[in-house]
Amino acid sequence: MPSLAKTLPNGQPQNQKAVLRIENLHTWFEIRRMGFFKAGDVRALDGATFELYEGETISIVGESGCGKSTLAKTILGINHITKGSIFFEDQDLSTLDKEGWKRYRSAIGYIQQDPYGALPPFMTVQRILEEPMKINGITDRAEQKKRIRQVLEEVKLAPIEDFLPKFPHMLSGGQQQRLVIARAMILDPKMLIADEPVSMLDASVRVEILQLLQALQRRHNLAILYITHDLSTVRYFSERIFAMYGGKIIEKSSTTGLLEKPLHPYTAALFEATSDPDVENLHSFKDVPAGEPPSLLNPPPGCRFHPRCKKMIKGLCDQQMPPEIWVHEDHAAACWLYKDQA
Amino acid sequence: MSDKKVMLDVQNLKLYFRTQAGPVQAVDDVSFQLKQGHTLAVVGESGCGKSSLAKAILRLLPRNISTYEGSIIFDGQDLMTFDDERFRREIRWINIASVPQASMNSLNPVVRIEDQLIEPLLVHDKFNKQKAKDRVAEVFEIVGLPVDFLQRYPFELSGGMRQRAIIAMALASDPKLIVLDEPSSALDLLSQANLMNVLKRIKQTINTTFILITHDIGTASELADEVAVMYAGKMVEYASAEYFYTDAHHPYSQKLMASVPTLREDKDLAFIPGQPPSLINPPTGCRFAARCEKRFEKCSMQPRTTDLGNGATVQCWLFDETGEVKHA
Repeated sequence: MPSLAKTLPNGQPQNQKAVLRIENLHTWFEIRRMGFFKAGDVRALDGATFELYEGETISIVGESGCGKSTLAKTILGINHITKGSIFFEDQDLSTLDKEGWKRYRSAIGYIQQDPYGALPPFMTVQRILEEPMKINGITDRAEQKKRIRQVLEEVKLAPIEDFLPKFPHMLSGGQQQRLVIARAMILDPKMLIADEPVSMLDASVRVEILQLLQALQRRHNLAILYITHDLSTVRYFSERIFAMYGGKIIEKSSTTGLLEKPLHPYTAALFEATSDPDVENLHSFKDVPAGEPPSLLNPPPGCRFHPRCKKMIKGLCDQQMPPEIWVHEDHAAACWLYKDQA
Repeated sequence: MSDKKVMLDVQNLKLYFRTQAGPVQAVDDVSFQLKQGHTLAVVGESGCGKSSLAKAILRLLPRNISTYEGSIIFDGQDLMTFDDERFRREIRWINIASVPQASMNSLNPVVRIEDQLIEPLLVHDKFNKQKAKDRVAEVFEIVGLPVDFLQRYPFELSGGMRQRAIIAMALASDPKLIVLDEPSSALDLLSQANLMNVLKRIKQTINTTFILITHDIGTASELADEVAVMYAGKMVEYASAEYFYTDAHHPYSQKLMASVPTLREDKDLAFIPGQPPSLINPPTGCRFAARCEKRFEKCSMQPRTTDLGNGATVQCWLFDETGEVKHA
């Protein structure tokens, strides 16, 4: 376990409990030719190590195909672990039996990207919320009613009696997403995984959902893994930010540290590419790298960003994978530019 | 204001769709002017009628139209007087091109990019085949794609490249106006920034007039000279980007701006409680009134369009006394 000074950003209490610990996690998908010859692996997630603490939010930012959703799904147990391990409250997931997995899954809530796709269209709000309880053995009707009332109040779907008999298509996008959050909360989880929870919603509703998640986090001391491609929402919503590229976590930072100065050239490019509403934008061009993210079937040697990087050091970046270098106490980058500061 | 000529003058445009529950007032009494070489960004939430406005201008209409009226004066000609055949032959794609939403995914997967791009030029008898190919190679360079990619199939190009190919297709016939419907929202952040660079360069070098339809107010500021805000089928505010981004007037525009998270600046985010009204039987007064904190008695009547000066207009009773009333 790495020392706390390096994993916790400044100013955070040192005695917080790690809810989730991830060590050198790899998720590879095998590609087969003609059904049985192995043609290679898609290295969707290629070595991730971090800890998630009680009551904290980590934002994972990156473009499509960088492995951020693979990370979420591996934590949820949807993907198989190729290498490495996940500890939930100091329990190694690989040692869990069927009952253990059931208990683990009831302790993490999952908030999907597309609320309409995540809700069964033939179930009413009441049945959608009863289902997780039935599966996890909460059969007492009074208890079920109490919990449904409580979560619907928490996500502000009021008046409750009006919503219970409704079907998902009768709700607006924002209400659907609040129902998804209610479903994730009904088993009183310790951790939420939110995979792009607001990217399908309108701007005015987006903030509402994020503030709702924040309120839930405070009330229940939830740990949240917030996965997004939108850099502009993370500053309002997270303590730490991780940037991913080509299956690797390339930058880990406290939110304040990253906003002050992103270290990795890729994170800096994401920063540059994000447009704030500002008239000055009209007169300037964005300095962003051309090209595309690498193929994960056959990633480039060395740093995976080096073919697109302007600051590439010949003979080093294109040959050796950069290690994670802690440049500041709360800010690390996997980049050879900082090799003297290791 | 500059004395550039007016490229598009839309007055009292209405587009209603017929449904079983009654007419849907998707575009209701929208008026604006757009000068040559300028870009108008039409912003608003889903269902506010911004895509319907684009369809109304291009006359790409579904069958269930109940009302389609008003005037669209494009480059001095009233398009509403054109019959469909004349509109097809003289306007659509020749003078007004369009990049519909998610169109990068509608390229034919079994036809090479080049053959798809020259098709509109051949259909309109603008060029012979060789000339069309030369022209397509020319615009491919403008959008920053290697010319040999013309020989590829769509699946061999990434999303950002396909989107640029579509924009090349719209540019090929040298139209005076291009309507872009959410051109970058399906793309990744870096591809999006690259595409905005390309569009900006086109705007500066070729002086094309654009209408950019988007829900992303941040990205809109990359390209917009003017901004129009739509809410529930009405154009509630129209202003130059300079005025809009620093000093939006309509309460809805202000709320919308306050809900946009910013990366570089820390601000208090606020959301807009409630939902937009149904466009079947919308409220008789201001359509935003139910969600507006500043509503008063007058808001139960439809607000007039108030001229705020500098070409900016707003539909809100708050400004009716101070501003100069343009038309009742």
